[in-house]
Amino acid sequence: MSISRREFIQQMLSLGVSAAVVAAALSILDCSSQPFPGPGSDNTTPPPPPPPPPGDAAYLAVARGESPRAMVEAALAALGGIERFVRPGNDVIIKPNICVSFRTPEYAATTNPEVVGALVALCLGAGAGRVRVMDNPFSGSAEEAYPTSGIEEAVRSAGGEMEVMAGMKYQDTAIPYGQKISHWPIYRDILETDVVIDVPIAKHHGLARLTLGMKNLLGVVTNPGALHTDMPQKLTDLATLVRPHLTVIDGVRILMNNGPSGGSLSDVKMANTVIASHDIVAADAYAATLFDLQGEDIGAIRAAAHRGLGTMDLDAIKIEEIPVGA
Amino acid sequence: MASEGKQRDSRAGGTGLLSWRRLRRASQILALVLFIYLLLNVRRDGGGWLAHDLFFRLNPLAGMATMLAARQWMLPLALGGVVLALTLLLGRAWCGWICPLGTVLDWARPPRRLQRRVSLPPQWRQTRYLVLFAVLFSALLGSLAFMVLDPVTLLQRSITSAILPATHSVVAWSEKLLYRFQPLQTPLEHIDGFLRDTVLPLEQPFYLPALLVLAVFGGVLALNAIKPRFWCRYLCPLGGLLALVSRVSLMRHAVNREACTACQRCARECSLEAIPSSGTFVAHPAECTLCLDCLESCPTGAISFRAGTPPAEPAPGGISRRAALASVAAIGLGAGLLRLAPVLGKAEPLTLRPPGTSETDLRQKCIRCGQCINVCPTGALQAGVLKSGYDGLWTPVMVPRHGYCDFACRRCGEVCPTGAIPLLSLEEKRRAVIGKAEIDKSRCIPWANGLNCIVCQEMCPLTEKAIELSQATAANSEGYQTALLLPEVIEERCIGCGICEHQCPVRGEAAIRVRRA
Repeated sequence: MSISRREFIQQMLSLGVSAAVVAAALSILDCSSQPFPGPGSDNTTPPPPPPPPPGDAAYLAVARGESPRAMVEAALAALGGIERFVRPGNDVIIKPNICVSFRTPEYAATTNPEVVGALVALCLGAGAGRVRVMDNPFSGSAEEAYPTSGIEEAVRSAGGEMEVMAGMKYQDTAIPYGQKISHWPIYRDILETDVVIDVPIAKHHGLARLTLGMKNLLGVVTNPGALHTDMPQKLTDLATLVRPHLTVIDGVRILMNNGPSGGSLSDVKMANTVIASHDIVAADAYAATLFDLQGEDIGAIRAAAHRGLGTMDLDAIKIEEIPVGA
Repeated sequence: MASEGKQRDSRAGGTGLLSWRRLRRASQILALVLFIYLLLNVRRDGGGWLAHDLFFRLNPLAGMATMLAARQWMLPLALGGVVLALTLLLGRAWCGWICPLGTVLDWARPPRRLQRRVSLPPQWRQTRYLVLFAVLFSALLGSLAFMVLDPVTLLQRSITSAILPATHSVVAWSEKLLYRFQPLQTPLEHIDGFLRDTVLPLEQPFYLPALLVLAVFGGVLALNAIKPRFWCRYLCPLGGLLALVSRVSLMRHAVNREACTACQRCARECSLEAIPSSGTFVAHPAECTLCLDCLESCPTGAISFRAGTPPAEPAPGGISRRAALASVAAIGLGAGLLRLAPVLGKAEPLTLRPPGTSETDLRQKCIRCGQCINVCPTGALQAGVLKSGYDGLWTPVMVPRHGYCDFACRRCGEVCPTGAIPLLSLEEKRRAVIGKAEIDKSRCIPWANGLNCIVCQEMCPLTEKAIELSQATAANSEGYQTALLLPEVIEERCIGCGICEHQCPVRGEAAIRVRRA
């Protein structure tokens, strides 16, 4: 079969035009995904502070004891029960720290599996519709890290699900209160779900000195390495947008040195503590005391407190300390 | 192959359930599916209960070349002997019934009306023996560089470094686009959940020479338009090896002269043109792949495969002794040139190898199958095309800026079919020095810009970190004196896993780079 020159040109033209139309349509779709305004560097409006706790519930609860499960339950009870945060049918995301795929829980590089399991069970007990647990390790894949950390088994047996964070869900998102960063690719589900529970393990960190609740939020963005220069301000910017409803700090085993991945049991200290608060800054500030530091000493805590994201003045809030018998 | 009775059956029911052609096609499909299953599955659990390197081990060319180059007996590769024995018995059944590339080429055959009616000189068929000679002679000199022309490695490479990454990219891009539409989100999550880590890797793989791979593969497919199975007829070194063996195989294509009506249907049907279209109509054993199409096309049932028929006529079209000698000499000199790779003396400082791998082992044992590159979970292993000279063509190199050597992983050693990459225990691998990291203080953020960073120190997986921080004070952007942490590499500790280089936030080339120790 042969075609005339005219037919050939017609076909090529129509092909070209349709390709251009498809490309244009796609690029329009692409533009619509960038909702952020200009750079927010002169943004001085403070973000809203955390709401006061209801009734006589504690602002911050500290449980001490041997059993991680009992400590989590006691701390939550002091805050007014998990029902204060989780309503029936809610979609809950729990964000532990599963930073690497090569450390088992006793090295205190990843959040205590029992702490995470206990939280899953509490949420489901309060009628949560779905409880997902996720993190994005910086070394190794989530598929490997989840079982190694022991968290996968704890979550599954408590009835929750582990989610491997999917590339398509990171979407460039405006950070309206951001001063250093005005937008960043953030995991969509973290922003859209009903309840986010931040469950870091308290660890030493070379730059931040400690990695706690705010630093743990780096697990929900892409390219966290780029947030390391001027980290306190950038972490605070991120925390103005990603605001966990509840922060539970695992201080069962804490890593005193060579963080964040550790590797030597001599760096691990049994602190047998669980700290919980709706105020991420207060929880972080209290956790600093496990290392004989103050909130003031940690750049991110100081910056976030100055920005009004929470308080690091532990004398000004109602703290309930609960000993949990063996 | 077919007893008289069976043969009559197949003639009677040429389209019956158990026709030879159907059996052959079923075997081809099964082998190709198994091949693809193994190369996908090896990334997850090393192949399950089947040997993930089954096809490489069955490949007698890979076995012979590797043992020649390494000058040592390698039992796992002796499985190729089974295929050689099969060939001695039946002829080139591997090519017609098993070879996954052959199957792809059977499918990629253009419709008859589009086939170009060109006749190529029969002596072109000798090319494959020259390719075979090149593979084996350079192996004798200690280099496996020509194994890139092996059909099994060629298909494996094409699928894993070009076709799959391209598929991944298209899928990921469409997913991200469609994910903006609310009603599509749940189905997309299900689709993504299914595809991840089964068909597609977790992360987008990226291989620098992917376009080159695709061009070679496309070329092999395009040649198919000139002649069906052009590659198998003229170029394939494994086909060449099996063709040599087939000349003395037991089972042979035979034609009953009394029944034959010289209708030439068999000759037209034969996709390899192994049957002459006049004279005896007996297929040449070196060309016949036992596809058995002729068996079913014969209207009088004159064709059979049986043991012990006398040797067939000489191969269609030999080449002159002078041409053969000249080609052999050229290949010999070419193989000699391969040895002149400068890296044998002094290795390129940034050409890093998989953990525990010696340069000599790579040259002598690496069959260029690319399985290590396929399984590397972080994309650290890349095909170094000419990064280590001609001799090191397509051997794996580690590129930390693309990916780091995962502290919890030793997959490359587990999957290497020839032991070119040693199988280390995790403890040994964690001590195997790939290289040493070095900080470029003129570009490093704390050293050059006076800003805190320490990503490299944070990432270092060693218990006693190979990067230590020293305290200094510097004026920050607002003019306050702040504590500045300056990273330094403790060279004795560093194993060169490269996660520091991978994650270094400096744009472009990292400010910390791993160099060969």
